[in-house]
Amino acid sequence: MMVEIIDRGAATVVVPAGEVDLEHSPRLRRVLTELMLDHRTVVVDLGGVSYLDSSGIASLVEAYQLARGGAGRLTLANLSPPALRVLRLARLDQVFAIADTVDAALGSGS
Amino acid sequence: MGPGWSQYGGMDLAELRPDLPPPLAEDLDIIAEMTADFARSRNIEETLRRGLGRICASVGAEAASLFLTDGETGELVCRACCGPVDVTGLRLPRGRGIVWRAVAANAAQLVRDTRHDPDFAATVDDTTGFVTRSILCAPLSVRDERLGAIELFNKRDGGAFGDGDRRLVQALAASAALALINARLAAAMAEQEAFRRELALAADIPRAMLPGVLPDSFPIHGVNLPARGVSGDFFDVVARPDGRIAFALGDVAGKGINAALLMAKTASLFRCLAKRMDRPGAVLAAIDAELAETGASGLFVTMVAGVLDPAAGQVVLANAGHEPPLLVSPGAVRPVDGGLPPLGVVPELFTAGCPDSTVSLDGGCLYLFTDGLSEARDGDGPMLGAAGVAALLERFAALPARRRLEAVVAALPGGGALRDDVTLMAVEDRR
Repeated sequence: MMVEIIDRGAATVVVPAGEVDLEHSPRLRRVLTELMLDHRTVVVDLGGVSYLDSSGIASLVEAYQLARGGAGRLTLANLSPPALRVLRLARLDQVFAIADTVDAALGSGS
Repeated sequence: MGPGWSQYGGMDLAELRPDLPPPLAEDLDIIAEMTADFARSRNIEETLRRGLGRICASVGAEAASLFLTDGETGELVCRACCGPVDVTGLRLPRGRGIVWRAVAANAAQLVRDTRHDPDFAATVDDTTGFVTRSILCAPLSVRDERLGAIELFNKRDGGAFGDGDRRLVQALAASAALALINARLAAAMAEQEAFRRELALAADIPRAMLPGVLPDSFPIHGVNLPARGVSGDFFDVVARPDGRIAFALGDVAGKGINAALLMAKTASLFRCLAKRMDRPGAVLAAIDAELAETGASGLFVTMVAGVLDPAAGQVVLANAGHEPPLLVSPGAVRPVDGGLPPLGVVPELFTAGCPDSTVSLDGGCLYLFTDGLSEARDGDGPMLGAAGVAALLERFAALPARRRLEAVVAALPGGGALRDDVTLMAVEDRR
């Protein structure tokens, strides 16, 4: 898994790519937690995610909980079919703010 | 003394031969004593302090300090002192100065007269009142790993340190460095061992929470196969006073101690609540409320809870973020959709209650499973998926429930190298 972090001014775009599983999700978790505690507006671009397991979802959930606690803003964008399938299966699509594209997320987030 | 001396110390073994004059034989004794002391010691700091005292005395120095590198800041920190001035805790940022010069060059530095050395910083003297005339500083290193340095100040006899002193301190520093590396390795191993024991302990928690083997005549069966280490899956079956049977299957996100503890907590809550509450949706809502109050960040549980009425062949189901159970009847497979997100994510989602759905088994069988089953795959091959699960269930349909579940789990792609825990339950119509 790769995690790219792109500064887009008011927001930060986090782009994990590949398999977000037990082995790799701690890195995503670290990145997201830091940004959330830094009160950033964060868009997670899930377009390149080929596999998302429960530990990967847990990283997103933790960031979501931090955002709810007032620490920042979190939007998921550009969901790849595997990412969308897993989030739908867990009915977390009802929980996260989800945008079709990163630009749409940035538009609504600013 | 071990056989690897010359390799570590960078010193001349010829100088350590016992047929050499008395002073060198004494030095050998010191080295041997220090090495033995280090080998026995469990408290490396105390041993280093004692070792420093010995070095100080044997070289005839007025004072000595031992510096170790701080892994986080990269600074050299004074960890032990002997002599009139105690600068323990003094931090030297990377840069100039005799100690850093010794560490950077990984070679002993001999300064006969500090007045002629541009790297000598008199700041410590200025604050302590100690007057440094001569310095001997040897790096503590093992091969290329720089651990710190030993610095000696002023010969007691008023003269300057010489080459003999340099060689002795080099040898003693090499001995101390080896001891330090050994102690660190031993500490790391002890830590790993403690962690391994903790993991083994945590692995027993889920196992202890699972129900024992149920009689074949029982309408509900389950199997659990932990992938490796600690499982985050659980299932349970609870007989109710009204003759109905409550059951549940859950998956805690993540692995490790926290996940195992959360799993144990959720399973205990279920066991307790399922006997008292009639509707599985209410049970899930109550568990969620409890988890929200005490839950740890980022941990959540996906779970299906149900109640079987064996006389009516009917199941009431509630689902919190879990993969839909499959209702398999001859010639038809239907997922039982519906439900809410997982437990422990958003407290207010469950305050309005979790919906129940009623399923008639009609002679069929309801299967509950964790994603370890549906996402099982061979290497990078395709995942089994709900359709693959259904196909496997059909393949072993003729077997009695318990053996059927075991056969399905044994036939999973990926075989013994499971990525995730696998748990599979069957709820049958036994009318």
